[in-house]
Amino acid sequence: MQISVDHARCEGHGLCADQAPEVFSLDDDAELTYHFDGADVPDEHRSAARVAVNVCPVAALRVLP
Amino acid sequence: MTPRSVLIVGESLAGTTAARELRALGHTGPVTIIGAEPHGAYSRPPLSKAVLRDPGADDALFQDLDGLDIHIVRSAATAADTSRRTVTTTDGREFRYDALIIATGAEARRLAAPGRRGELVLRTLDDARLLRSRLETAASAIVVGAGFLGMEVAGACAARGVPVTVVDVHRPLERILGGYLSAALTARAEAYGISCVQTFGFAVPTGDPVRGVMLPGGTELTADLVVTCAGETPCTDWLAGTGLAGQLGVGIDETCATAVPGVFAAGDVTHLRADDIGPDRRAPFWSNAVAQGKVAAASALGLAPTGTPYDDYFWTEVAGLALKVVGPLPLTGEPTTVEGSVENGRALLTWKRPDGPSTVVAYGMRKPIKALRALAEAGEHSASR
Ligand SMILES: Cc1cc2nc3c(=O)[nH]c(=O)nc-3n(C[C@H](O)[C@H](O)[C@H](O)COP(=O)(O)OP(=O)(O)OC[C@H]3O[C@@H](n4cnc5c(N)ncnc54)[C@H](O)[C@@H]3O)c2cc1C
Ligand code: SF4
Repeated sequence: MQISVDHARCEGHGLCADQAPEVFSLDDDAELTYHFDGADVPDEHRSAARVAVNVCPVAALRVLP
Repeated sequence: MTPRSVLIVGESLAGTTAARELRALGHTGPVTIIGAEPHGAYSRPPLSKAVLRDPGADDALFQDLDGLDIHIVRSAATAADTSRRTVTTTDGREFRYDALIIATGAEARRLAAPGRRGELVLRTLDDARLLRSRLETAASAIVVGAGFLGMEVAGACAARGVPVTVVDVHRPLERILGGYLSAALTARAEAYGISCVQTFGFAVPTGDPVRGVMLPGGTELTADLVVTCAGETPCTDWLAGTGLAGQLGVGIDETCATAVPGVFAAGDVTHLRADDIGPDRRAPFWSNAVAQGKVAAASALGLAPTGTPYDDYFWTEVAGLALKVVGPLPLTGEPTTVEGSVENGRALLTWKRPDGPSTVVAYGMRKPIKALRALAEAGEHSASR
């Protein structure tokens, strides 16, 4: 499973990082880092990552088909 | 864990979060979601922000439940029988459940007399599309209600060059954000082209189609568009006769359990029942719907929830300025400025409380929730830095 991040759309709420801290984090200026860019999200973090995608209010995150 | 069939009614944030959480908790039994909207699940907060300005924003709203093996039914629920444990839909089908999660949210409250045409509201994607297209040709607009939604809609009107007047008995956002922020935000809104009118009683929509509002003193304001942003009503008609719902919606406890065994509820359809923290209360916001969707899913499986059914993160946009809030509301009195200044449109503010967490507001400032929470919890300490 891979996730795409639309950085232009991201408003830096950090709701995604609340749900999946191993997958997403934000720095002090609310810039988002996606920890598995270009790689597969490890199995153990997949369901949390899906929840994170679901809670982003501006739909900046997508699970790639 | 016993395999149980879980039925979720309402295909939006609370419902989809519950569905995901059921699977995340290892539930392999059947999960069905009944949803009334043909579009399926989508995110509402952008409807009053990006969507009103940019038609291109529509595509990115949708949320999917791919790969979770969830049966989706697109037909509104019309009745529930909690003793037989069934829910009936408009198309005449009946669904059995072992556990039911009610997540039917709320609908926009209208003020015009029933049958009057032309009153606009904003709750669904179709509402947003209609309002957006009307904004293309409108020469003026009135927004009834100066709460979060009303101020966002007014901001979108102004951003699109449509002169707009907001009417309310309260000053903009004062009821929740208090006098200090209300004054700062009202000045901002006025400078942005939003005219704010405080009335001494409720405004009543006039005309058919609606083309204005009558103010209590007998003055009538007219405009091409009248948008009512006067709160929401929980969607509970389909629960008639079950005793589950009252005026404030479906009452839930700390575990999102309702008064009926096997029935749980989450999101904008709910209110938290009175407890040691406070009286019966509604909190129809995004983060709450997420928190409650997760708790309801655990409870439906007979597991002890790991989280609480409330989350006090909230955000809005006023006249182009982003506001992010963590901590208890309403606010009263003056804040401590931790960073920046309100005059310059960029500030980090805290409202301290003697007996509990502070409220922290990022005013026009990009700050992640975690940083705001840390500041709210540190209270005194960080605020005096
Ligand atoms: C324009 C707008 C802007 C917002 N902005 C913000 C914001 O900036 N910040 C914030 O925190 N919150 C915001 N919110 C609130 C947030 O969107 C809600 O808290 C959230 O959508 C609640 O999710 P929910 O799933 O409980 O209910 P809803 O999103 O209301 O979904 C309920 C679903 O149930 C369906 N339904 C209803 N009756 C039936 C039935 N009988 N059978 C089947 N399905 C049914 C409805 O069609 C709907 O799809 C905003 C809301 C709106 C409308
Ligand atoms: S939840 Fe969405 S907007 Fe918020 S930080 Fe994550 S990706 Fe960005």
